[in-house]
Amino acid sequence: MSRRQRAIAFFVTLCVLLVAAALALIVGWVIANAERATPLVLGIVSFTLIIAGLIVYTVFLVLEIKRNEDHDTFINAVTHELKTPIASMRLYLQTLQSREVDEARRREFYEIMLSDADRLHRTVEQVLKAGASGQKAKIVERVPVDLAPLVAECVQLARLRHHLTADAIALEAHDDHSPIVTGDAEELRTVVTNLLDNAVKYSGDRIRITVSVAAPAPNTVWVRVQDRGVGIPKKQLKRIFNRFYRVQARGLTQVKGTGLGLYIVRSIAKSHGGRVFAQSEGEGRGATFTLELPRLAS
Amino acid sequence: MSRILIVEDEQHIADGLRFNLEAEGHSATVAADGETALTLLLDERQPFDAIVLDVMLPGKDGFTIASELRAAGQYVPILMLTARGSPEDVLRGFEAGADDYLPKPFELSILIARVNGLLRRLRWSGQDPAAGGTTTGDVYTFAGRTLDFGAMEVRARHSSHRLTVMECDLLRYLVKNAGQPVSRRAILQEVWGLHEGVDTRAIDNFIVRLRRYIEDRPAAPKFLQTVRGVGYRFKPQP
Repeated sequence: MSRRQRAIAFFVTLCVLLVAAALALIVGWVIANAERATPLVLGIVSFTLIIAGLIVYTVFLVLEIKRNEDHDTFINAVTHELKTPIASMRLYLQTLQSREVDEARRREFYEIMLSDADRLHRTVEQVLKAGASGQKAKIVERVPVDLAPLVAECVQLARLRHHLTADAIALEAHDDHSPIVTGDAEELRTVVTNLLDNAVKYSGDRIRITVSVAAPAPNTVWVRVQDRGVGIPKKQLKRIFNRFYRVQARGLTQVKGTGLGLYIVRSIAKSHGGRVFAQSEGEGRGATFTLELPRLAS
Repeated sequence: MSRILIVEDEQHIADGLRFNLEAEGHSATVAADGETALTLLLDERQPFDAIVLDVMLPGKDGFTIASELRAAGQYVPILMLTARGSPEDVLRGFEAGADDYLPKPFELSILIARVNGLLRRLRWSGQDPAAGGTTTGDVYTFAGRTLDFGAMEVRARHSSHRLTVMECDLLRYLVKNAGQPVSRRAILQEVWGLHEGVDTRAIDNFIVRLRRYIEDRPAAPKFLQTVRGVGYRFKPQP
């Protein structure tokens, strides 16, 4: 049991005891004032208010403790995500500075440092985007965007970035209706990229991802990303979109990240008048993420 | 040539470390997670002269690995790498049985110097098989107990305990100042080189462990006494 779990257990127990004491007092009050209507009613109302207050207070406290926990997880994750690529780049730069390194090795080191710089850049972008998503008043340029080429481009980039073959991330052919939405192409690209990156990260060694763009109804567009990876426990299907939240399941500690990706996805989906939801049959059985956006009438 | 095990899940850092340690003339093996490291060291009994151990690892973290190795009687020197690097983390590492630490990102030259330092201490203590298993005769005896700094061991009448390098250094410092009280802050600075705002109480766990090794009744210590408001005093003759 962690320190925070102990704190939660303590406050919940305290709340139960206090509520029990208040109930006992109500009973006592009712017995003592059985024949006097005004004090009887007043007493029952005040004790009920006290009990309600206790419960609200405890619920609020427990939620705050949990938020704190998520926040700590985030600080740890970001510290790691920022420091690791810096440590790696410094290590290779100092190696190049202090040792004789042959040409082939030198090139290899440059490649490694570039990919570290990219990783660092992605983390910084995620943190900045998550910060921006928190601000409601935002002016976004809304233009018609065709999702079919946008998704195809994201899939192509994801294959390149993760060194995957075409069948590792398969793009399913969609029907004739052009999936056009109004929105910001850059933000929508972020959504699809984050979903794809997650699908790769949580696939383990067996990367088989299917991406499809479809119009399930005349005025709706779906972008679906389906993986056959570690899956998501049912209880966590909603929480995964919360800021800083990261899936807790067996064997997942090796998956690194900031806990911001899906939060950004949800914020962008909402600001486009759509939504995003996850489905999973449970641990080890893959997950499907669906981005649902209003379709632009053609 | 020394054999060094690198336990690091970040492949770039692991490869960079291996390249540099090999350039220094050592042979280096990489384990990408703690379980692999434990298998190599405890099950396969592969001989290593030092371990470079990352703290944030998939599965079991670096602290757990260090304490499991020590619990299994594996005393190979450990240099811990930590991204968090807070003084509390450093002390947690020492408590788990690490011998030295470096915060990430680190200076390459300092990392090499620290690894070489661990290897040198290992040779001094005669643990290196290449040195023929001799001890340097660095021994201190009191009240029927023997502190063998060379063999990194405490021997009492009925028991003997292996010491980590950190425990060895702490005992050596206490013995050097025998009879005088030494403050917790002095221990942190002189023994472990920690200067920042560390909770000085963190040392107490080490003292508890040392008392278990040398006291008849650790709860009522005769040799390793607490000096209220100051720190500790080592009294060879109670």
